[in-house]
Amino acid sequence: MSPIGAALGAASAAAGAGALAGLLLPLRVRPLAAGACTTAAGAAGVVAGVAALGGDSWSVRLPGLLPLAGTHLAVDALSGLFIAVAGAVVAAVAVYGIGYSGHGATGAGSRGVQALLPLFAWSLLLVPAAASVSTFLLLWELMALTSLLLVLAEHRLRAEVRGAGVWYAVMTHLGMVSVLAGLAWFAADAGGETFAALRAGADQLSPGVRGAVFVLVTAGFASKAGAVPLHAWLPRAHPEAPSHVSALMSAAMVNLGCYGIVRTGFDLLGGGPSWWWLAVLATGALSAVYGILQAAMSSDLKRLLAYSTTENMGLVLVGIGAAGLFADRGRPELAALALAAALLHLVNHSAFKALLFCAAGSVVHATGERDLDRLGGLRAKMPATAGLFALAALGAVALPPGNGFISEWLLLQSLIHGLQVPGVATAVVLPLAVAVIALSAGLAAAVFVKALGVGFFARPRSEEARRAREAGPFMLAGMGLLAACCVALAVAPGALGSGLDRAGTAAGLAGAPVLDDGTGVRLDAVSAKLVPVWVLAALTVALLAAVGVPRLLRRRRRRLRARLWDCGGGAPTPRMAYTATSFAEPLQRVFDDVLAPEQDVDVTHTRESVYLVERVRFQRRVPDRVEHRLYRPVLDWAERAGEAARRLAPGSVHRYLGYGFFGLVALLLVLAVGW
Amino acid sequence: MTEALYTQLLDLACGAFLLAAVVVLWLRELTVVVRVLAVQGVALAAIPLLIGWYEDEAALLGISAGLALLRGGLLPYLLNRALTGPRDSEHRETRPLVNVAASLLTAALLTLLAYAVTRPLVALEATPATRALPVGFAVVLIGFFVLVTRRRAPSQVVGFLLLDNGITAIAFLAASGVPVIVELGVSFDVLLAVLVLHILTTRMRAAFGGTDLDELRELHD
Repeated sequence: MSPIGAALGAASAAAGAGALAGLLLPLRVRPLAAGACTTAAGAAGVVAGVAALGGDSWSVRLPGLLPLAGTHLAVDALSGLFIAVAGAVVAAVAVYGIGYSGHGATGAGSRGVQALLPLFAWSLLLVPAAASVSTFLLLWELMALTSLLLVLAEHRLRAEVRGAGVWYAVMTHLGMVSVLAGLAWFAADAGGETFAALRAGADQLSPGVRGAVFVLVTAGFASKAGAVPLHAWLPRAHPEAPSHVSALMSAAMVNLGCYGIVRTGFDLLGGGPSWWWLAVLATGALSAVYGILQAAMSSDLKRLLAYSTTENMGLVLVGIGAAGLFADRGRPELAALALAAALLHLVNHSAFKALLFCAAGSVVHATGERDLDRLGGLRAKMPATAGLFALAALGAVALPPGNGFISEWLLLQSLIHGLQVPGVATAVVLPLAVAVIALSAGLAAAVFVKALGVGFFARPRSEEARRAREAGPFMLAGMGLLAACCVALAVAPGALGSGLDRAGTAAGLAGAPVLDDGTGVRLDAVSAKLVPVWVLAALTVALLAAVGVPRLLRRRRRRLRARLWDCGGGAPTPRMAYTATSFAEPLQRVFDDVLAPEQDVDVTHTRESVYLVERVRFQRRVPDRVEHRLYRPVLDWAERAGEAARRLAPGSVHRYLGYGFFGLVALLLVLAVGW
Repeated sequence: MTEALYTQLLDLACGAFLLAAVVVLWLRELTVVVRVLAVQGVALAAIPLLIGWYEDEAALLGISAGLALLRGGLLPYLLNRALTGPRDSEHRETRPLVNVAASLLTAALLTLLAYAVTRPLVALEATPATRALPVGFAVVLIGFFVLVTRRRAPSQVVGFLLLDNGITAIAFLAASGVPVIVELGVSFDVLLAVLVLHILTTRMRAAFGGTDLDELRELHD
């Protein structure tokens, strides 16, 4: 038996044991036992994924496991990459989860959550391994359902959780319907439902059917990846889920949306015309800018991170779209580079976003607050968490020496060199895409400066923030594992080079674009080179020089302690400090037309005189405009239709029986006439 | 038994079966309706008796006896017990949603529809039993019609029994009956349903002082 099969088998066994442990064991040992099993499952997933990235492949057919179609599993390098990423995230987050859910029998520590988490982790590992339409859809649905139930974990504590759950349930199932319709159509026309049969039959499809299948499938997968305008569930569900579940969803589950697009678009359909990929690219660009703008406006820490997920998935989609475009224009080496950049960004995003969500979870765990405007001063109370958040934020802002920088650099390289490709579309779209990436990177810097600066520095703005305590050892250990991944990806991304090549080859885009060059990245296709260690060393030297030289040159002075001059208005309180909202205000003014914020000033005068003001109330909301314009009308219409349909049910038994009778008679009449 | 005699007897039984269903629509006095239902039960029991006799199947004869006992005896008896209420007006279907004349006309139309719909089934194999198949179908539709248009709870039970008699007749006419175990299960189900409806009727009378189904209007959101 190959190592992949053995490792996936071990992962399944561990996940099953974890689910049983979560269900049966008493509260005292439940999180530890279930968490340990989930960690083992994740580690086994890493083993399987790394073996597949190393060039191994595996497939199996289990005819008895599902009725009619049987179960088909196959792991190639592309699946292996996603399995490895999901496994690493699962393993680290499960360790974190032991500490996170160690208190209380409701919410994260409850029986249901502890039993579902291993199942969710298992579905994350197995979805990329599915090799037939029915197996894939079954695992996909298992993933959707387990994650939905996990999102609802804290529904007793907060009423908003239920609304988020409804949004998520509806959107994920609409996406599922779209994917199901697309794949079923594909399978019907290709004459088989295994992926091998789809690959073989893809050529016989008419162009119209191919396009329709791609649009249906991509719409479903893009909604799972949180791409605008199908993102509405994401900024709701991610903040309301328990933080370790948010980490799993944001760092492992949304990836599978991109996996679906790559798998069907490149591998099963074998590539397609430019308009497919231009659509993907446009969706990605829109998601990147819109996501990061909304993140900049958000003062809820976890909502901010959720919108940042939309942004990063947008960047990945830009890479995928560019890869498809180049492949269609006959430049496979550039296509392979763009796809490798997209996949590397996906890996990087998983590492830093899991860490960010875990750190945010520690903050929520310690203070019970997600509102940045009420946090602050956490650096002193939670130094380790603050440091880890800063490390992850460095990755997220795409500046050296963070890990996000390398993948965005690769993405930019591929887009800039893509300008050699002739054609009007590339000449217009690619520079725009470059601009979008630059804009989103700049805004991301502002977003994470806000999150880190307002949330962790300055003075505590609430009693809860003042009483914060450092996270427990399990939580720190889990975050430490993720931080190690971030650092490794930042320092030695070249180690992934051959694996990314194999993943690209498995997707049908052969080429050797990202060469393993010790620790660096060398791009043979465009003759560019980046060695992160040198970047890191140069930065360190520059930083030391910037901090050390003035200190050496400065004369030693006697320190004077005095009260801060307060203009005679009394000592400044934390309420006067810069908040997240005030930090975002200039950006909001710049993007006023895009964001369309709603402001509300409410002045109450005293009863004695209109010249004296008793109270001024100021309120500002930045609603999700896409949601407002796109979803609201549909929801309103559905509500009106529901109200109208309610009149069909007045309560009369005879009326209800009559519906059945007349329905039957009408059907029989149709049959009688039609025969 | 010759084939001609068999055909004539079977048609007679089926005719009585359908006629009983139409008479149920025509009558208002519920005690009489229940008696008609007993007659229909006997007519229904005659169908497997004839088929069993003609095809020499002893099992069908046994089933026929059981059916006669259940549909011609036990169920009408239970229904009659439900009708032993205090007030006389409760025993009449005074104001059906569709009046008697229109009901009879509808029954004719439904019978036509049944004949039209079952044409392809009859064409499959034109034995005497299959040719009588539309009768079972018509009784199903008439039973459903009774359910929709009659107000009293006992009338609803009668409609339900008509529907079920029709289904049983279809089973015998189309496939010479279902396996004995299934037939037993279905009969037991019907018996339980009638018992439950009996209890519900009693409860309804206790709660509202009547069995008019239009008193129940809470079933909406």
